[in-house]
Amino acid sequence: IPKKKTWYVVFNLFEITQDRCLMPETMELCIEEVSEAALLERIMLRKVKAAVDMYDQLLQAGTTVSPDASNDLLDLICLYGDRDPVQDDKPEAEDVVGYYLCGLYLENNNAERIFNLLPERDTRAYSALIRGMVKYGAHVKAFNTYTDMLNNRLTADVHTFNALISAAPEVRERYTEKWDLIVDLLNQMNEQKVKPNLLTFNALLKALRRCGSLARAQSLHTLSEMKAMGIAPSLASFDHVLGIFYKAASPSQGQTDILQEVMTEVAGRTFVAQDPDDVNFFSSAMRICLDTKDIEAAYKVHDLLRVGENWRMLGDSFQQSIYYGRMFNLLCMMEHIDVVLKWYKELIPSLYYPNPQGMRDLLQALDTDNRLDMIPQIWKDIRRMGHDNKSDLVDELLSLMARDKHSPEIQESFAVCALDVKSLYEQGQGARMALEWTATAMTNITSVLLAAQKKQQAWDMLKLFKTKNRVPSEELMEEFLASIKSSNDPQHAMELVQISASFCLPSTPKLAERVLQAFELSEEQKYDYCLGLLELGTTDVNSTPSEGSHPLHLLRPLTP
Amino acid sequence: MYRILLLSVCPVRNRALHVYIREACLRSSKCDIVSLPICRATNGGVFNAFGTSSVIHCEKKEGPLPPKEENSALKDGEQKVAVKMVGEKVIELQDYVKMVAEQSEQRVGVKMEGVTESVKIEEIPVKMDSEKMEEIQTKTALLPIPEVKLEDVKESEEMKEIMLASKTEEVKQKLEVTMAVVKEGETIVEIQVKTEEVVDVKKEGDKVVEEQMLEVNKEEQQTEAPPKDEIQPVKSGKESLLDLLGAMKVEVTNKRKFKALKVQRTSETAARPMPAAMESTTSMFQEATGMADVPAPAPSETLSPELVAAVSAAAATLPSQSQAESELLKKLRQHEAIGEAQKNGDVNNIGQVVIIADMKVGKKPNGRQNARPANQIRFDEDGRGYTHDRGITAELDGGLRRRRSLFSGKRLNIFTPSTEPEADTDIAVPTLWDMELANQVALSTNQMPRNGFEEMIQWTKEGRLWQYPINNEAGLEAEAQVPFHEHVFLEKHLEEGFPRQGPVRHFMELVVSGLAKNPYYTIQQKREHIAWFRDYFQQKEEVLKEAEVYLN
Repeated sequence: IPKKKTWYVVFNLFEITQDRCLMPETMELCIEEVSEAALLERIMLRKVKAAVDMYDQLLQAGTTVSPDASNDLLDLICLYGDRDPVQDDKPEAEDVVGYYLCGLYLENNNAERIFNLLPERDTRAYSALIRGMVKYGAHVKAFNTYTDMLNNRLTADVHTFNALISAAPEVRERYTEKWDLIVDLLNQMNEQKVKPNLLTFNALLKALRRCGSLARAQSLHTLSEMKAMGIAPSLASFDHVLGIFYKAASPSQGQTDILQEVMTEVAGRTFVAQDPDDVNFFSSAMRICLDTKDIEAAYKVHDLLRVGENWRMLGDSFQQSIYYGRMFNLLCMMEHIDVVLKWYKELIPSLYYPNPQGMRDLLQALDTDNRLDMIPQIWKDIRRMGHDNKSDLVDELLSLMARDKHSPEIQESFAVCALDVKSLYEQGQGARMALEWTATAMTNITSVLLAAQKKQQAWDMLKLFKTKNRVPSEELMEEFLASIKSSNDPQHAMELVQISASFCLPSTPKLAERVLQAFELSEEQKYDYCLGLLELGTTDVNSTPSEGSHPLHLLRPLTP
Repeated sequence: MYRILLLSVCPVRNRALHVYIREACLRSSKCDIVSLPICRATNGGVFNAFGTSSVIHCEKKEGPLPPKEENSALKDGEQKVAVKMVGEKVIELQDYVKMVAEQSEQRVGVKMEGVTESVKIEEIPVKMDSEKMEEIQTKTALLPIPEVKLEDVKESEEMKEIMLASKTEEVKQKLEVTMAVVKEGETIVEIQVKTEEVVDVKKEGDKVVEEQMLEVNKEEQQTEAPPKDEIQPVKSGKESLLDLLGAMKVEVTNKRKFKALKVQRTSETAARPMPAAMESTTSMFQEATGMADVPAPAPSETLSPELVAAVSAAAATLPSQSQAESELLKKLRQHEAIGEAQKNGDVNNIGQVVIIADMKVGKKPNGRQNARPANQIRFDEDGRGYTHDRGITAELDGGLRRRRSLFSGKRLNIFTPSTEPEADTDIAVPTLWDMELANQVALSTNQMPRNGFEEMIQWTKEGRLWQYPINNEAGLEAEAQVPFHEHVFLEKHLEEGFPRQGPVRHFMELVVSGLAKNPYYTIQQKREHIAWFRDYFQQKEEVLKEAEVYLN
């Protein structure tokens, strides 16, 4: 590829983005005169528009352009759809329009014009035109061009057929018609003595994915044909076969063990990329494993990934994260927690950087196998991975900690973890999106603290409810009361009832009664207590419809 | 499995038929159907290897199969051998076919009576008095099919011995009787028809053989007894029966394989028909369908496997066998369902029975596999979001395919693999398209090193990393001979060509001190650097003098 990349020592990225004139033209034209050499240079540097201009100038000057050069030009135009290729280092914003346009076939473009100008149109010219049409979505036109080519008694090459096969599902409506067209093309290939290659069969299998029910049988026949022709299927071939057999909404999903057969076929083999679709294999195979909840098959897929250089076939980081995400999800679902944690240590974070959903799966797996004591450790990882600002994940973690009673050591570690979560809420976290206190989160933190006998912190939390305008649950109040009872602290108990009344909780009267019964209060204390309630009640009772919370009801048993 | 069998049988069978038709071309078309059993009988030893269900399948096909199927049939090694053997056998059997043909001509009349009688099945009064037949009926009534198969194998071995003694007429007899044994249900009328025929033939045949045959049947019944007892209690629930059905099918195929092997082994000595085994496999599938109804709690009129088998036997005598059979079965099933519903007052039962009768139990490859994907909405690539359900046949297809490996099926048969190596593989310059494809493939794969070690290996390969042993001066080979003071003390280069004092001198001292600290330039580059400034200031000398800064 003649693309020159000039490497500049970039001291200041900001400067570069501000002042784009610092960036060099990646490809500079050297030959200015009108000549075939200039045309070739423009083709080499992939300057589509400049090359077309040069070609026109040459023709106007009466120069004859050699067939090779004009074919190269045609290749260039067809490959880039009569547009200048987008440079990597140009900012995207400029090419937004171009971005949406590319992928569309332009009517009356230079490709057809130059094709018509050619003195003699050979197979290569036709091939370039047809491939370009298919690439840019002019499928019907491609087939018309192919007919035109046959009428001119030319034979197509294998690339033309590959393009046409991949276009075949676009030009027919019914599944059988699509398949008939493909078979027709294959027969013509055979008649024209064109040898199919791997890409032919991959295009065929890919087209079969869109041929509905008849694809199942035909895909297997295709594989047999490949074997007969001595063409080893690539991962893309198997990917297409899997796609055919495991259709997303198919009712017969799970009734076939094609995945097992494919895995026995490919087990232990190393693959090199031959088709751009090869990289889809692993993630889609893992999807099937996940859908069918087949952990054994998943292990097989993963074993294949470890063979030789196969890991390269996993694709870019996006596909890697999809693959590992599915695998981890399946592991969390199906495996014992010890195995899950083994994989967790192995995969995270070097290979897989889990998303919040992945972490929630892990938490659920911990819950399933009763290993909630791992939560503080997982929370550290969550913080490290920057998922600590995902409120639903944090909520889930807190609710798991608050749900059950554990041994004092675990409760202690939970409390530390809960305080850590609390500190996260309190610090603004600067640029990052901060968490918003929710009532459930506060309740959960408080009950974790209570369970760990951290009364002072719990009491702070209870006060925090008021400042954050959140309402604690009645269960939390019960827990508080139980905790206060155990330490026999009537002052706190009365305070608790007052707080409860201030939230207008419907259970306040019951709470107050229980406080009166449970604690030995002096008459003075009782009087102050009820008066305090009355004050609160008169301020709050107007705003609440619930009559039960009115503290006057409490005074009734006190004043006989 | 069925399909493979069918494929392998087809060509052979066609050949056999050719032989047969050539020898018996005088016969009318009706006789063809009637004499099919004979044809089967002649090829029996061979056909058993493949199971007669495929033969029947074969008959249902109207046109000849496309030639490509023959090719693919040859793929399977075992069957290849079998096909070869069949071919030899066919030639061997030619003489035998002749004999059968002659005798079957005589029997056409008898057989045609049978046909007419079976058409009027309902009108013929029940006047069955053969105790033996009843005995057989009761004993076979609740017999699970796998056991029948096993017994058939055994029986067929015994049959062989009988065959050796018997003539071709006995072949016919046995065919009919064993058919009756396996198939008879409650339609005693049908059995009666058969027995009458048998009696007719018996008169012509050898009595001794008949007795032997009945003995065989008795033996069969005796051996059957223990497994029957075992199986019966299990039959109570429909669920368990369905499971049984599922398991049964697998067993049957295994058995057939076993049987095929056995027949291959023995076929040299016994190029004789084994009708019992043959017929039982024929009716196997129908019985399997019928078995679904056995658990239905109706003491009176159940659609027992024997009934179904009888229907198929009756239908076999009609010209359009398959159609008649399916019609009869349908009718029977309706009768039974309605009758039962009326009796039990349970309307749901109709649906149940019909559903179960039509049900196909497939073996799941994995217990967990049927779990549905949760929380997911996805769309098909073919744009419908669902696939067309082709009903039983589709599942059957899937079930059959399961037993094949990925590559063993037939192929498209469009291209012919060339044996000569590729002569010209376009060593021409790669086009833009090729480069684009290579680029795409390279971009799609993961080219990043997986860990630090790999990265360092890559760097080392590129010569970008330290060489070992570690050397501070690695990469400075060009300057190795230059002493350090040449690099550091550069003031001597300012001696000539520069003013002795003033701003220019001051600037150049700064330049020199900077160069002295630069480890990257060679000494030559440093000298050139200074020389450039020398030239520059000499060129600008006029200007500098005017500004009075060039002090020399």
